Amino acid sequence: MSAKNVTLRVEDLNKNYGSVVALSGVSFEILKGEVVALVGDNGAGKSTLVKCVAGSVFPSSGNIYLDGEKVDFHTPGQARDAGIETVYQQLALVDTFDISENLFLGKEVARKGISRLFGILDRKEMRRQALQAIQEFNAKFPDVNAKVETMSGGQRQIVAMTRGAFWGKSLLLLDEPTAALGVQESKSVLEVIERFRSQKQMSLLIISHNLEHVWQVCDRILVLRGGNLVANLIKNDVTKSDVVSHITGAYSK
Amino acid sequence: MKNFRVTGIQARLLVLIAIVIIFSLTTPYFFGAENFTNIIVNASVVGVIACPMTLLLVARQIDISVGSAVALSAAAFVVMTEKHSLIIGLISGLAAALFISAINVGAIVYLRVESIIVTLAGLIAFRGLAKVVLDGRSVTIDGWDYIGEHRVNILGLLPVPVPVIIFLIVLLIFYFIMRATKYGSNMYAIGANPESARLSGIKIEVQIAKAFVLMAIAVFIATTMTVSMTGIASPTSGQNLEFLALTAVILGGVGLGGGRGTVLGTCLAVLILAVVDNALVLRGVQSFWQEVARGSLLVLAVIFDQLSRKRDKTVRMGI
Repeated sequence: MSAKNVTLRVEDLNKNYGSVVALSGVSFEILKGEVVALVGDNGAGKSTLVKCVAGSVFPSSGNIYLDGEKVDFHTPGQARDAGIETVYQQLALVDTFDISENLFLGKEVARKGISRLFGILDRKEMRRQALQAIQEFNAKFPDVNAKVETMSGGQRQIVAMTRGAFWGKSLLLLDEPTAALGVQESKSVLEVIERFRSQKQMSLLIISHNLEHVWQVCDRILVLRGGNLVANLIKNDVTKSDVVSHITGAYSK
Repeated sequence: MKNFRVTGIQARLLVLIAIVIIFSLTTPYFFGAENFTNIIVNASVVGVIACPMTLLLVARQIDISVGSAVALSAAAFVVMTEKHSLIIGLISGLAAALFISAINVGAIVYLRVESIIVTLAGLIAFRGLAKVVLDGRSVTIDGWDYIGEHRVNILGLLPVPVPVIIFLIVLLIFYFIMRATKYGSNMYAIGANPESARLSGIKIEVQIAKAFVLMAIAVFIATTMTVSMTGIASPTSGQNLEFLALTAVILGGVGLGGGRGTVLGTCLAVLILAVVDNALVLRGVQSFWQEVARGSLLVLAVIFDQLSRKRDKTVRMGI
C-alpha cells in the first residue's frame, strides 16, 4: 500500500479529559475515495475522535497525517484550510441564513478590486456557485433562496453536506448524518453520500449509530469501544452481527 | 393572512406615522417643521450610539456602559481643552473612549466575563471617574458650538442641523457594514448560532472586539455632539443613553436572542421613542411620569420581541 493513496492516517491518538480517558491509542488509515464508517456505543469516543481530526478538540498525544503530511490543528479553521470538512450532528448551519450564505459561512467571497479591502460581499457570485454545487449533487430544494430555518431536517442535512463536499478537498467527516431523520429523508441523504463518492472521489468518515444505514454506503468499518479501536473490518468480509458483537464487546477472542 | 405579511420595518414605519398623526391632531405645538427638527436633533445622539449597539446585540453582546463612557469622554475632552487646547481635548476624549473599549474587550474577550456584567461595572465606575476628572462640577467649553448651532443647507433647500447629518452618516456606514460586508455577515452568524460560527472558522473573539472598538468611536462622536449641544461636560452628561439606545435596539427588532434585526429598524425605533418623549413634554406630563413611560416602553419592546420570536418558532415547526 503506497503512502500516496492514504488520505488520513491517525497514529496512536490519545485524549484525556482530566482523569477520564476518551481515546486511547487509536490508529487507523483512510484511503483515497474510501468511505469508512465509525461505529460504537454511546461514550465510545466517536465524537471525540472526529473532533480531534476536525480541529475543534486538541488531542493529548498522537499524530495525524493528511495526504502524507503531519498536521496539528488548533482551530476548526485550520482543518478547513487543510481540506477537511466536518458536518456536525447539531448541523452547523445558521438558521436565519439562506443556502448560499450557509455554504459560504466563514469563507465568504469578497468582490474584486478595492471592494476587497472592505470585505464587501459578492452575493451574486456566492449564489451562482451555490446553485452549481446543488445541481452537481442533484440535491432538490423547493426554494433555493429560502432561509434554512424553513427547511425539513433532511433538506438541512443535505445543505450541510453540500457545504462539506463543496469545500472539502481531501476528507469529509459526517457526524450522525441520518440521526433524527425519517425513512425517506435518510434515503435521500444516503443517495447524496453515494454521489459524493462517485463524483468527487472524496474520502468520507461517517459516524453512525445506525448500522443499517452505513452498511449501504461504506467500504470499511471501524469499531470504537471505551476509547479503544477494537475492530477495523472490511465490510465484505464480515456480517452485521459480527460488527454488533464488536460494538457490544460480546466478540472476544 | 398568508398573502399579506408586513415586514418588521414596514410595521415600525406604520407605527411611527400613526403616532405622528395622532400627536399632531391631539397635542398643541407638536405639528410643525421646527418641532419635528427638534425631535430629530434630540434623537440623533441616541441614534449614533444605537447603531453600534445594534451590531453588538446582533452578535449577542451588550454594552450598558455607553452613557458613562460618554460622560468620561466628555470630561476628558472639556477639561483638557480648558487646560491645553481643543486639539489635545479632542485627542483626550477619543483616548478615553478607546481606553474604555480596551477594558471591555480585555474582560469580555480574554477573561470571558459576560458583557452585561463587565459593562454594568463600567456603568458605575466610568461615571465615577468622570466625576473625579470634573471634580464634581460642570465645566464649560468655548469654541465648540459648530455641531450644536449650525445647519447645513442641502441643495440650497433644506437647512439640516449638523447632528442630524452626523446621525445619517453613522447610520449609512453601519447599514453598509451590516448588510454588505463579510464582517457584518459574520456578526449575524455569531448571534444566530455561535457554535456553528466557531466551527466554520469565524474568529468570534476578534469580530466582537472590533464591534467594541466601533462602539468607542461612536461614543466619541456622541460626546462631541453632546458637548457641542449643551456647551458643558457635567457629571450627568450622557445619562440614560445606554437605556435609550437599548430600548431603541430592542424595539427596532433585534431582540435579545441575536442574529436578526437591522439598523433601519433601530433608526425607526429611535424616532418613535423621540416622538413619544417630545409629545409627553409638550403635553406637560410631569417628568416623573415621563420616566415611568420610558421604562414601560422598554418592557413593551421586550414583550413584543418575545411574541414575535414565538411566532417565528411555530412557523419553523410547521404548526
